[in-house]
Amino acid sequence: MAELNIVEKVIALEGVELLRNLTPEQLSRIASIAREVKFPSDKVVLEPSKPLDALLVVVDGAVELSRDGEVLHTARQNEVLGAWALFDDDPMPVRAKTIEDTRLLRIGRDDFYDLLSDNIEITASIFSTLVKRFRKLVEQS
Amino acid sequence: MLKIRAVWRSFFDVRPGEYLRTCFIGLYLLFVLFAYYILKPVSRALFLNKFDIDKLPYLYILIAVAGGALAYLYTRVAVRSSLKVAVAWSTALTVACLLGIWWLIGLGQAWVLYVFNIFVSLFSVVLVSQGWLVAANVFNAREAKRLYGLLGMGAVLGAAFGGTFTAQTVKIIGPRNLLLASAAMVALAYGAFLLVTIQKGVSLAGARAAETDESEFQFRDIISALKHYRHLQVIVGIIILTFIVDVTIEYQFNAMAKIAYNDKTQLTAYLGNFYGIYLNLVTFALQFFLTAAVVKWFGVGGTLQIMPVTISLTALATFFMPGVSSSAALRLTEAATRYTLNRTGMELLYLPLPADLKNRTKAFVDIFVDRMGRGLGGMILVLCTTVLAFAPKQIALVTVCFSILWILLSHKASREYVATVRNRIAARRLDLVDARVTVGDPHTIALLEQTASSENPRQAAYALSLLAEAPGYDVRSLLQKAASSQSAEVRAKACELARALNYPDLLERALEEVRTAEHSAAARLAANYALSVSDDRNNLLREFLEYPNPDVWEGAMDTFSSNPDAVADVITPGWMTDAAKNSDPRRRALAARAIGVVGDAGIGILHTLLEDGECEVVMAACRAAGALKNRAYVFAIVQHLKDARTRAAAIESLAAYGPRVCGTLGDVLEDASAPLSIRRQIPRALRLIADQRSVDVLIQALKQQNLIIRGAGLKALNRLRESAPQLDYAGQFVMDQIQREARYYFELNAALAPFRDGEHPSTAASLLAHTLEERLRQALERLFRLLGLRYPPREIYSAYLAVNRQNKDDHSAALEFLDNVLERELKRILLPLLDAPDHVLETGRHLFGIEIKTPLSAVRELIRSDDAWLVACAVAAAAELKMRQLIPDILEAAKNSGREVAEVARSAMARLAA
Repeated sequence: MAELNIVEKVIALEGVELLRNLTPEQLSRIASIAREVKFPSDKVVLEPSKPLDALLVVVDGAVELSRDGEVLHTARQNEVLGAWALFDDDPMPVRAKTIEDTRLLRIGRDDFYDLLSDNIEITASIFSTLVKRFRKLVEQS
Repeated sequence: MLKIRAVWRSFFDVRPGEYLRTCFIGLYLLFVLFAYYILKPVSRALFLNKFDIDKLPYLYILIAVAGGALAYLYTRVAVRSSLKVAVAWSTALTVACLLGIWWLIGLGQAWVLYVFNIFVSLFSVVLVSQGWLVAANVFNAREAKRLYGLLGMGAVLGAAFGGTFTAQTVKIIGPRNLLLASAAMVALAYGAFLLVTIQKGVSLAGARAAETDESEFQFRDIISALKHYRHLQVIVGIIILTFIVDVTIEYQFNAMAKIAYNDKTQLTAYLGNFYGIYLNLVTFALQFFLTAAVVKWFGVGGTLQIMPVTISLTALATFFMPGVSSSAALRLTEAATRYTLNRTGMELLYLPLPADLKNRTKAFVDIFVDRMGRGLGGMILVLCTTVLAFAPKQIALVTVCFSILWILLSHKASREYVATVRNRIAARRLDLVDARVTVGDPHTIALLEQTASSENPRQAAYALSLLAEAPGYDVRSLLQKAASSQSAEVRAKACELARALNYPDLLERALEEVRTAEHSAAARLAANYALSVSDDRNNLLREFLEYPNPDVWEGAMDTFSSNPDAVADVITPGWMTDAAKNSDPRRRALAARAIGVVGDAGIGILHTLLEDGECEVVMAACRAAGALKNRAYVFAIVQHLKDARTRAAAIESLAAYGPRVCGTLGDVLEDASAPLSIRRQIPRALRLIADQRSVDVLIQALKQQNLIIRGAGLKALNRLRESAPQLDYAGQFVMDQIQREARYYFELNAALAPFRDGEHPSTAASLLAHTLEERLRQALERLFRLLGLRYPPREIYSAYLAVNRQNKDDHSAALEFLDNVLERELKRILLPLLDAPDHVLETGRHLFGIEIKTPLSAVRELIRSDDAWLVACAVAAAAELKMRQLIPDILEAAKNSGREVAEVARSAMARLAA
């Protein structure tokens, strides 16, 4: 299977809620630090005991999320694992395991911060998304 | 069919959702004018049959007095009720009056003709002004500008039908019974008004002459509003002049007609035909073919000038060629332009006023000022005809004099209109003002003393600084107390103020602060203060420089930054060299700082420090280089623009070089081989150098193809325009750039059109559409930034924000402002882009010959463009949409558009080959 090009990476990143306010070109800058990783079926991607240091986007394949043996969700194309890992290094309380051959896009936290330091408009957009999300949560509570 | 629609739209641009509203308000005006043009010839014919022409000036004066009283009564009713109720009442009263006058005329009393003429003169003003007031509450400023021409046409048609109806029917039913027909028309007008009120989106319940019930309407309120708003003063001035001129012209026309037609029956027939047919034909033609176009092309100011200019010229003609034909031409010019161009212009003139003020005073101004103008006209006529014994021919010169005044006032009206629109837009923008507390009275001083001793350190420190500035207040005792405060912030403030006051008594306390150095800001300020008041500075400086705390070093350097000679014995080249080699980065940073104070003494260690691996050292070295302004360091500083951590210091130090570095920075900015991460930061340094050389370099940057560089250059120019408006911002070049950006906008829009509908998420085509939308947004921003270089930047910025807001009124106000300030050439290009988004494709074709594209031609053009990201998206979309015809273009793009495009092209080729 051919490596993803930058346009395909951007299309995959468009589905990430945290990055929803970014323009396609800003997404392309994030795409430039996104690395493609491949997992065979039945491979553990996330463990509740291990801290997260990257956001993962499913490009193709499927990842099963479970807690205490109970299956919570099966993430498929363009779905995100560890959406808040870019800002929070606490481990996710779920186990993620591939259930078929799977390709993921991985955005490492350190690379992401380096990118933000040079692209203030991306930082501003992400802040804006976070603020809207907090506001919505406050309104709901 | 399309052509007919385009021609119709060029005259009357009615948009979906506006048809019924426009139609019913137009009908309302048509019926009212129909009724009026029955009454006008009848009342004038009956009066002239009974009295001679020399009684007319006295009738005008009577109208003014009675009109003033009615205006007062009307506004009292209007302020107590909604607009809807006011219309209902005035309609009912009008019908009742018509029936009453009809009955009284039947009794054959002569005085009834005076009453009838007064009533008729007030009729049109009350009912017609109500119609326009309803229109002003139903349409916003932008809608009104497009639709008022059409509404005015309804009024003109009503007048024409009314006049013709009268001329034909009077022979059958006689003049008196025509009053009943007029009453029926008024009732029909009310029906049309009711239909307006039930239209979707129309709510007149909130439309009142005053916003709240408690704002009791008073005559003095109106005077106060007139005093306060220059815009209203101008409106009043124009209305007064309009009616003075109207009266002088009508007098001259009637006098000439009476001379020409001795027989009263002939005279009545002539007047009936003149008002009913000739005048209305001309008025109709003017309204249908010219008014909307004139408003569109000449704006409010130009529209208002047409009437006085044409009257002046025609009045001069009547002076040199007196007679009934020239007087009729003058009357025709005056009346036709008043009902069309002038009426429309005046209604537009009201629009930028606040809604409450507009409603409260509009009826009053229309009724009372109208009457006052006629009354003044009547008095001027009495003066001219009885005291000065002017012949009708000489009255033409009086008309010319007042018309010239009117021209001057119209010019002022145009300026006031723009200023009022501008103020309304600016009022939506928050301006932070520096609010300083003025300290002086004993009560405030006591309060501040209490605060200075309070437990809140921030408040205490602020109170201390205010007291230090208070005239005649001795803050020293409080400083002693503050220097021993538990709060480091208060102690720091005490040192800062003591230094400013050169007060030495806190020295011991400051030295203790330096020794303990528990708090960095306090230690820095204490060191700074101690060195500034000490008698033994050199030894104290040596001592401080050996302290382990870098804050103390910084404080010491602060003291001598403006007096390097004072430290020459301590900070020697040897000391600096040693410090620069120290393993502690803070010590190396101190070496850089010291070089900035005393100079590099030719030892060259600043080069080494500029290449240091620690940000702290590099930043200090950059600032030192900026302080020295030595060009040898410029390129080293420029390299640090690409690192976010050192960027601020690099920008600050480059700006410190001043205008002499602009050329060098311009070279880097234009060097396509230099990293973009450096080039895009150069404008940030240039914008801090308020010099023509900065502007020139940034203007050159606008020529670059790279959108990032263009955007950064524009942002910097906008900042410079605000801080240094006196510089030359290359007006013609900016005009050309605006045209170029606008063309780019239309091209992007044409490319987007095939992808706008039927968009599927997570596809290359949808990504291409999103990218094009984003490029459109950026192009619009650049357009406004360019406008900000040519027009008032703050107002343009406010207009940009308003255009991007969802609020319809804000958007409309912004467009109205742009419509009035932009030059015609720019208006022609930019307003359709903002005002009629549904017609942008059509406008792009009309203005720049940009053809509507198919998906294939749009993608082909984008692949051939210079924008690498757009090329990548277009290549991916071409593969997704199986556009095999584009394979040669994709291969060409792969060769010329960079690595990322080449990768996308490879994937695309594989997909197309499959």
